[in-house]
Amino acid sequence: MTPSADAESPRASASPKSAMHRFRLASWAPVIVLVLLCAVIAVINPNFLSFGNFVRIAQAAMIPLVLGLGATFIILMGSIDLSVEGILTLSAVILSLLVLNGANGNDLGLLAIPLVLLVGAGVGFINGAVHVKLKVPSFMTTLGTWFIGVGVANALLGGTAVRINDKLVRALAISRDPLVGLPWGVWIAIFCFFVALVIQNYTRLGRYIYALGGGEDLAGLSGIRASRVRIMAFTLAGVFYAVGGILAAAQLGLGNSQIGLGRLFTTITAVVVGGTSLAGGSGSVQQTLVGVLVVVVLSNGMVLMGIPPSVQIGVQGLMIIAAVALSMDRKLVRIVK
Amino acid sequence: MVKDINGLMGRRVSRRGLLKGGAALGAAGVFPAIITRRSFAADTPTLVNSIRSLSNPYHATWNKGGEAFAKSVGADYVTLVTEGNSEKGVSDIRAILAKTGGNVVINVDPNDAPDARPIVEAVKEAGGYVITQWNKPEDLHPWDFDPNYVAHISFSGVPYGKAMAEALFKAMGGKGGIVALGGIQSNIPAIERKAGLDQALAENPDIKLLDFQVANWSDTEALEKTNAWLTQFGDEIGGIWAANDGMGLAAVEALRADGRAGQVPVTGIDGIQLAVEAILAGEMAGTVAWDPYWQGGMGLSIGYHAATGAFDPAKEPKDHREFYGTGVIITADNAQDYYDSNIKAEPELDWNDIWGRVSGQIQY
Repeated sequence: MTPSADAESPRASASPKSAMHRFRLASWAPVIVLVLLCAVIAVINPNFLSFGNFVRIAQAAMIPLVLGLGATFIILMGSIDLSVEGILTLSAVILSLLVLNGANGNDLGLLAIPLVLLVGAGVGFINGAVHVKLKVPSFMTTLGTWFIGVGVANALLGGTAVRINDKLVRALAISRDPLVGLPWGVWIAIFCFFVALVIQNYTRLGRYIYALGGGEDLAGLSGIRASRVRIMAFTLAGVFYAVGGILAAAQLGLGNSQIGLGRLFTTITAVVVGGTSLAGGSGSVQQTLVGVLVVVVLSNGMVLMGIPPSVQIGVQGLMIIAAVALSMDRKLVRIVK
Repeated sequence: MVKDINGLMGRRVSRRGLLKGGAALGAAGVFPAIITRRSFAADTPTLVNSIRSLSNPYHATWNKGGEAFAKSVGADYVTLVTEGNSEKGVSDIRAILAKTGGNVVINVDPNDAPDARPIVEAVKEAGGYVITQWNKPEDLHPWDFDPNYVAHISFSGVPYGKAMAEALFKAMGGKGGIVALGGIQSNIPAIERKAGLDQALAENPDIKLLDFQVANWSDTEALEKTNAWLTQFGDEIGGIWAANDGMGLAAVEALRADGRAGQVPVTGIDGIQLAVEAILAGEMAGTVAWDPYWQGGMGLSIGYHAATGAFDPAKEPKDHREFYGTGVIITADNAQDYYDSNIKAEPELDWNDIWGRVSGQIQY
């Protein structure tokens, strides 16, 4: 078996064993949880099913989804990326300073977007290069770039918030398409999802990422240049976080150095709740989509159901443990650390 | 590059060695966390502001006030930043006490209430002067550390939480439903501001509190909670009360995505620039400015006057030692004036009017 036809991946070869894996109840746990959640919330508050709320859930999900897509590739390799908030904050702040804004005379308009994506790719590339070339564990590398990203954003702004006055950039989050009535930002997130899906399933990079997560030494022996794959994956993730930063800035209409606060937790939670293993090798961007929806629907639903705020955070914690416990195949795991 | 360095030093430098060197250089660059403006003069006390960080507008403005006061008396000025780390906050203060030999005035926003005690004790021992703001233990009093612990300044959240609720109700025409966004649940200002809201609600039976949610001072969370409310209550929402400006502005953005910005009044607290601008644009109904510029400058001025003998802290009444400052209530009526004199231009304060904003002794 070649490493790129990894048995754990969703579109794996059709051997009977992997077919059994695919239809394990556990691997559908996140979907079942999502459906149950929706049903319970809808019974308690029928407004949940309204089109207006559907749009709001989509709006709340767009940023976590884009961030989760990037993080999925890293987690699939068995690494971790903590620089989500750093890259997102830096991107949002740079975007707010490049477009028509309340602090300086710049007015690049939509041209600023490719520049911001380049910044994201650059920081992601640094993540990957430091991690691979200097052999610093991804946990520490990305922890460092997280702080560096937020620090640079601070230095750029000197502690203030910058209002974005560019109508087109704001329109990303506010204006809706004339057909379905979804905000453009949601369509951007959906587009990102399909890009990620194509990268995951139909490119060498995507398949190599699975191979690395399944067993890096084996992958190396089969001729995969692991270091290159890693650097590319981190760069790719950086671009996704930058998209998240653009959407966050467009949504709030401002750039400040606290815009990323709490995003890392939501991102990792969504990826893990979706069923992607932190050990690497198994999972997919489709599962991340489900995970993001579970997290977003739950927090939307708890407000709709009138659950007291003090209980909400506890419920989120319980959900993480429950989701991981449900989706884990205990037969394959002998030792848990 | 490694090769050049090898040649330069006349010996081999391994990659690891180079890395270590780089790390050491980086650490050395970070080490002087104490940012000195000029060399220390001998006679006038050095003025020190110790604050959480320069990354939020509030403390950045605080720092500007400190700079302005220091410039007005020609004293050396130092900013210490805790970055949310209590130990760093206390040890940086010890370092500056040692460096100046105690000839120092420290205006500190302690990272956490318990930090105030070691700070005050260290300053007393070194013979410096200290003013604390916002956080201190209830049983730590300036008059127990005469004359070095000059004063403690705080702001009661209750009257201003109430004032904002009243401004909101007024903008709504005195009746309808509201939703409210709170800060971190265990946080004293969050609790006090909510208590003010509750008082105003009790006095206005025509206003109904549809829901209260904690958004932990976060823009993102406030945006999501407001979105969920728009589903749950729709047009029932006549106004939104937020415990700070960041959450209030996020609520405005949620309304904007729903096409209702400017139609549903929103209030905040803190008086940040964007909130004042939102009031001018008719999208927010009010905010309260604590005036961090005043806190950063006047805290130092009070200490400076004590240190230079202009008054003796031990002889001042208790309501000058532990007092509530006065916030500025900003609504559509005075937003333009406030904007012109405090945001567009550098605020002009009379630094000698040290007790001008005392509004009562702190009650525990």
